[in-house]
Amino acid sequence: MNTASLGHVQPGSSLWRYVWKLSRLRWVIFASEFRRGRLRRKIGILLLGLLVLAGLGFAFVLSWLLLRFLRSPQLVLYLGDASSFLSSVPVVILSVAFIGILLTSFGLLLQALYLAGDMDFLLSSPVPIRAIFITKLLQAILPNFGLILLFSLPVLYGLGASQGYNALYYPLVLIVLSLIALATAGLSSLLVMAVVRIFPARRVAEVLGFVVAITSFICSQTGQFARYASVSSEQATQALSMMPRFNLPWSPLAWAGRSLVDIGEGRWLSGGGLLLITIGLTVGLFIFSLATAERLYYTGWASVQVSTRKKATPRSARPARPRSASLATLVNRVVTSPVQGIIIKDFLMLRRDLRNMSQLVTPLILGILYAFMLIRSGGEPPAGRGEAPAVFMEIMKNLMVYANVGISLFVGWTLLGRLALMGFSQEGKNYWLLKTAPVNTARLLAAKFLVAYLPTLFLVWAFLIVISLVQGVTPGALAFGMLVVLLILAGTAGLNLAFGVTGANFNWEDPRRISQGSAGCLGALASMVFLGVSLLLFFGPAILVKLFGGPTAIGQLVGLGLGGAASLACAYFSLWLVRGRVPRLGEE
Amino acid sequence: MNLSGNSVLIETNHLVKLFGDKVAVNDISFEVYAGEVFGFLGPNGAGKTTTIKMIAGLLLPTSGTVKVSGYDVQTQPLQAKAANGYVPDTPNLYPKLSGRELLRFVGDLYEMERKQVDRRIDELLRLFELEQAGDDPIDSYSHGMQQKAALACALIHDPKVLVLDEPTVGLDPRSARLIKDMLRQMAERGAAVFLSTHILEIAERMCDRIGIIDKGALIAVGSMEELRSLGKGETSLEDIFLNLTGGAEYAEITEVLR
Repeated sequence: MNTASLGHVQPGSSLWRYVWKLSRLRWVIFASEFRRGRLRRKIGILLLGLLVLAGLGFAFVLSWLLLRFLRSPQLVLYLGDASSFLSSVPVVILSVAFIGILLTSFGLLLQALYLAGDMDFLLSSPVPIRAIFITKLLQAILPNFGLILLFSLPVLYGLGASQGYNALYYPLVLIVLSLIALATAGLSSLLVMAVVRIFPARRVAEVLGFVVAITSFICSQTGQFARYASVSSEQATQALSMMPRFNLPWSPLAWAGRSLVDIGEGRWLSGGGLLLITIGLTVGLFIFSLATAERLYYTGWASVQVSTRKKATPRSARPARPRSASLATLVNRVVTSPVQGIIIKDFLMLRRDLRNMSQLVTPLILGILYAFMLIRSGGEPPAGRGEAPAVFMEIMKNLMVYANVGISLFVGWTLLGRLALMGFSQEGKNYWLLKTAPVNTARLLAAKFLVAYLPTLFLVWAFLIVISLVQGVTPGALAFGMLVVLLILAGTAGLNLAFGVTGANFNWEDPRRISQGSAGCLGALASMVFLGVSLLLFFGPAILVKLFGGPTAIGQLVGLGLGGAASLACAYFSLWLVRGRVPRLGEE
Repeated sequence: MNLSGNSVLIETNHLVKLFGDKVAVNDISFEVYAGEVFGFLGPNGAGKTTTIKMIAGLLLPTSGTVKVSGYDVQTQPLQAKAANGYVPDTPNLYPKLSGRELLRFVGDLYEMERKQVDRRIDELLRLFELEQAGDDPIDSYSHGMQQKAALACALIHDPKVLVLDEPTVGLDPRSARLIKDMLRQMAERGAAVFLSTHILEIAERMCDRIGIIDKGALIAVGSMEELRSLGKGETSLEDIFLNLTGGAEYAEITEVLR
């Protein structure tokens, strides 16, 4: 083979030339996607860019005004002197940037080093290994660094403008932030390798995804508990006094922050000294991490896993669980073995893949938060300005009796949006196993229905019982609520499953990214409308009878008849309508 | 070996599959008999996998019929599927199930007795040397182990018909030999084995009859002797295959690489 024509490494080729080449590849991919993208997408990206710039400007002006406001004499009278707070702003921001980049680059580096699948290709190509690692680190920090700059630069520049810092402060802010980001990413790469040495990379990614999803969801929702209107002067002062606590004398991040403040205020000697220490520490840490990471990866230390998992006892060796013969016969007669098999398989898959669990836990958190708010309100409708007609308030009061059922059903609806709507799609590329098996449509639909319906029903019942016990609901009302939940969830599960069949998509890699297309949106909308209509059918008669002074039990019975018939019809006919489509699934 | 006296276990009749305007499979008819190993050969994109998917009931034919064990795959899909075992070219298996759980699940789908399933699981795990990994999740398996797990799934219900798409890809020589021996044994016990492969040596040594598909059409079917008589004096399957499917481009590639 003639090798003269093939490209090869020039002796003494610059490391940075390769870093540039590899980094440029990302840009080329982005530019190519942008060029080939639809006009709508292009306009969207351009608008997003403009929005970010506008946001940056707005945040700068807002920070500047806020920081000036903190120095106003009236506020000083209310809160006390804020100068220690102001001088600790850079320390706080640098600390937050450090923690933020450490956490976010962990996931990105895990993806880039272990899951992206391009490391073997890159390492086998004539490119210096250091260039590959630098590029990977840059890839990991650039998106987050951009985000951190978006939030921190306006505040730090606003601080400089409001405090009248000298011009050198501004470029130094950018340099210090960049150096801290690089050093943090280096540290993060070592952390990734240490963790992957113990646990499989894919498992770590799943756990990380689960933790991030749940944490961010909890953080976004807990804001609803805050009562901002009643913040006292003491609470505000206490909140402000938290900031200087970051300014620890032994913390390198505090040295970095203080160097910026000192230089900004013209204390050149202390500022310069602290700045030199910061640069030395961050550059040193970055070089050390880079060299160690590439060594650990190349020697195979970071790829060979030290198994810590306890070997499971083989199933055949376990004693069989005794089950009464009559019960087993009854279960087998009602739920045939293919249906049982699919149910067990789906439950195992859902439980073991944490990417599914994050989707399933979200509705629960939502439900707990709303239940807490309901209990905190004492089950009374909001009084407003007291101008609402008495009849309306009476209806509202009667409706609030069933608010616990409403919240429980909302949790169920959200859960079914995952379990039923994606019941078929969650099979993914493994669907061939079901499709080649001798399982008819009715059994397949029954299995998928039960997989979605049973856990949702038991969970929602448990949820309803807990709220009802806390609220002191009567046993009769609780039993009525449980029957309503039983029937409405059946209708919702059937409806969602039917839309899930229509929009089934087996082509995905990550269960969090299963796309159901327009069928998914329509399914969610249709089941929400069904939920509203069926609630009206169940509760309407009971409320009307009570308004006219009749016995509630009669109204509830009528409601159960009307709503129950509608729910069961909805469950059956939705699935009946899509029965012809099931055998053809997975053939597109 | 003359098997034409045996019962027909796979029968395709004027099978056609169109994807839009593209003809993937064009009027294919053939039979595979009980006790026979039938090799299905063809260049990349010739329509092998599409044909196999129609036999396994994964794809609806545009026209024509497929019968497995005498049952029409379209009109009697459950009976046809119950007689069939299928191994795809890419073994996509539920990653979070263990090998043992996967086999138990497949046993349930085929409505097998619980005791029989347990016995078969132990046998198959031992046969494929997966005993140690039987309780590990499938996502920790190597490609070869996943391929063996997929084979075990296809065999758990002891099918009359076995359809395999590239069964030896990714297997070490020992496992590949095991599978070849096992397929032969199944045929000797009266099953019909239909396999596609790119390894002509396997087809030549293992298969009783060979079908060659090119551009969606079945261009030759027969035993090695019958195929030899079709060619221009070639003796090896490789020469026959290249002659029938057009080997000129291979010569060009060799010239470029020289």
